[in-house]
Amino acid sequence: MDLYEILRLEHRYRASIAVAIDRLAIAQGSITGLVGPNGSGKSTLLRILGFLEECTRGEIRFEGRAADPKDPSLRKKVTLLFQEPYLLKRSVFENVSYGLRARGETGRMRERVGEALKWVGLSPEKFAGRPWYALSGGEARRVALAARLVLKPRVLLLDEPTSGVDAPSVSLIKTASVRAREEWGATLIIATHDRFWLQAVADRTLTLVEGRLTCSGPGTFIHGPFELKSAEGPVKVLEGGTEIRLPAQPSGTSQAVLEAADMHIHPAPPESRPGQNVLECTLLHVALENDSAKLALGLSGGGLQWVAEMETAQFGRLCLSPGSRCWLAFEVSSLRWQ
Amino acid sequence: MNYLLQGFNNALELLFSGDPATVSAISTTVKVSSLSVAASIILGVPCGFLLGHCRFPFRSVVVTLVETLLAFPTVVIGLLVYALLSRHGPLGEWGLLFTLPGVAVGQTLLGLPIVIALTAAAVEGLDSRLAPTLLTLGAGRARLLWTTVHEARTALLAAGVTAYGRIVSEVGISMMVGGNIKWHTRTLTTAIALETGKGEFAQGIALGIVLLTIALAVNVSLSFLKRKSV
Repeated sequence: MDLYEILRLEHRYRASIAVAIDRLAIAQGSITGLVGPNGSGKSTLLRILGFLEECTRGEIRFEGRAADPKDPSLRKKVTLLFQEPYLLKRSVFENVSYGLRARGETGRMRERVGEALKWVGLSPEKFAGRPWYALSGGEARRVALAARLVLKPRVLLLDEPTSGVDAPSVSLIKTASVRAREEWGATLIIATHDRFWLQAVADRTLTLVEGRLTCSGPGTFIHGPFELKSAEGPVKVLEGGTEIRLPAQPSGTSQAVLEAADMHIHPAPPESRPGQNVLECTLLHVALENDSAKLALGLSGGGLQWVAEMETAQFGRLCLSPGSRCWLAFEVSSLRWQ
Repeated sequence: MNYLLQGFNNALELLFSGDPATVSAISTTVKVSSLSVAASIILGVPCGFLLGHCRFPFRSVVVTLVETLLAFPTVVIGLLVYALLSRHGPLGEWGLLFTLPGVAVGQTLLGLPIVIALTAAAVEGLDSRLAPTLLTLGAGRARLLWTTVHEARTALLAAGVTAYGRIVSEVGISMMVGGNIKWHTRTLTTAIALETGKGEFAQGIALGIVLLTIALAVNVSLSFLKRKSV
């Protein structure tokens, strides 16, 4: 069953379009990833889905009914963790229990707050009485996440939950977030630049560029400046001098996207042929994609991070492991301008 | 210089001897100014919240008006309230002229713009993430208001202290609306004006020191509260 259904949504800030989505459905209990460059509309879309902002035009259906963002009962089912969460000038306990008190759910409060703090790796004995100003950035982010998790929301919206925090906090935030689906079947929508994490946990990943959905699947963005070296099309010169050829650039576009499924990995340099780009890379990560027999591969080459996917059996035949040198090949025509 | 020394000695004497006229002026000052500050806060904080939080047509005009009222001369407020409360005035039948509630009405009008302007500035200066955070955690309108006020508590305490300072030190309203009636509406400031008029400078200085002592006690209590609330 679809929990959200978005129809002809458009949201504007003055004259500029922040988000424009013709149709989007989000299934109940699913994990949806949102990727895209900064300013692509991810945060705005999350605020609209969290009923904190009313869209300029279009319709949002929630649980099969047209949703009125002014209806406070909706915000009791959906909660959003902001990119830079705000903590009240109170103790950790009061911060985490705030939503429970707002909902009038005051029973077993100490126990529930303690449980939520444990989920994010904070000891209730050590942290519950601590004031807001005595927390590190990572601890504050985890307290803010605990304040959402304690509510056991039907929908948990996460806006770049792991940006700007240390590695242990990142790991705890990731585990605690996914727990929301495991424990009470919450629907998660995660906006992040950590595409590798999304590949591991998300049922699907949506790419937003300038407020519009461009591809449903992980992709790699190639930004300008581009050079026009021949009549065939523009060229992106990467670090180390490798050139990536692109198809002719339509006016009004500023970046090209390459979907993970369009990339091919070779353990040795492939034969070069016209219409194909080849780039030497280092394999950084390998992970099993969520609920599939595919592997998500993270590569580094020419100063960019590339996201590729491959069948498990096919990857086994390549005899590659993280740190291995390999070659990434893709058709010029597979690059799509946005 | 002798006046000052004499005044200081008299102040100690007045404070510790329990002079009935001084005790009455102190009691009247504390009662009427506390009532006025409480009324200013009760009425001013919600108005200041709305002014700082909401966006509505002509908001900037309202802000300018409130800020202009910060400089409202006390004698003009006294005059207006006197005109309203006098026997022939529109509120004459309430019988508030030359009473402490009448003085409190005037002093509330004096404190109100201070509380409204400083509350609006405090709410406007709050982190823009506060309201969406409260909403996404499920807060309704009343809880949103209360939590916002709570988050701005330090600034609101400063608004209360500023309003108290202006109210406790005013003469115009107390003199015009209260009438400086001994044992009844005489406050420390009107008593100082009277003693100075009589040429009793030392007595006037003594009452001034008493007034400052009260202000100090109030401010020390409030800064203790402020430290406790952080």
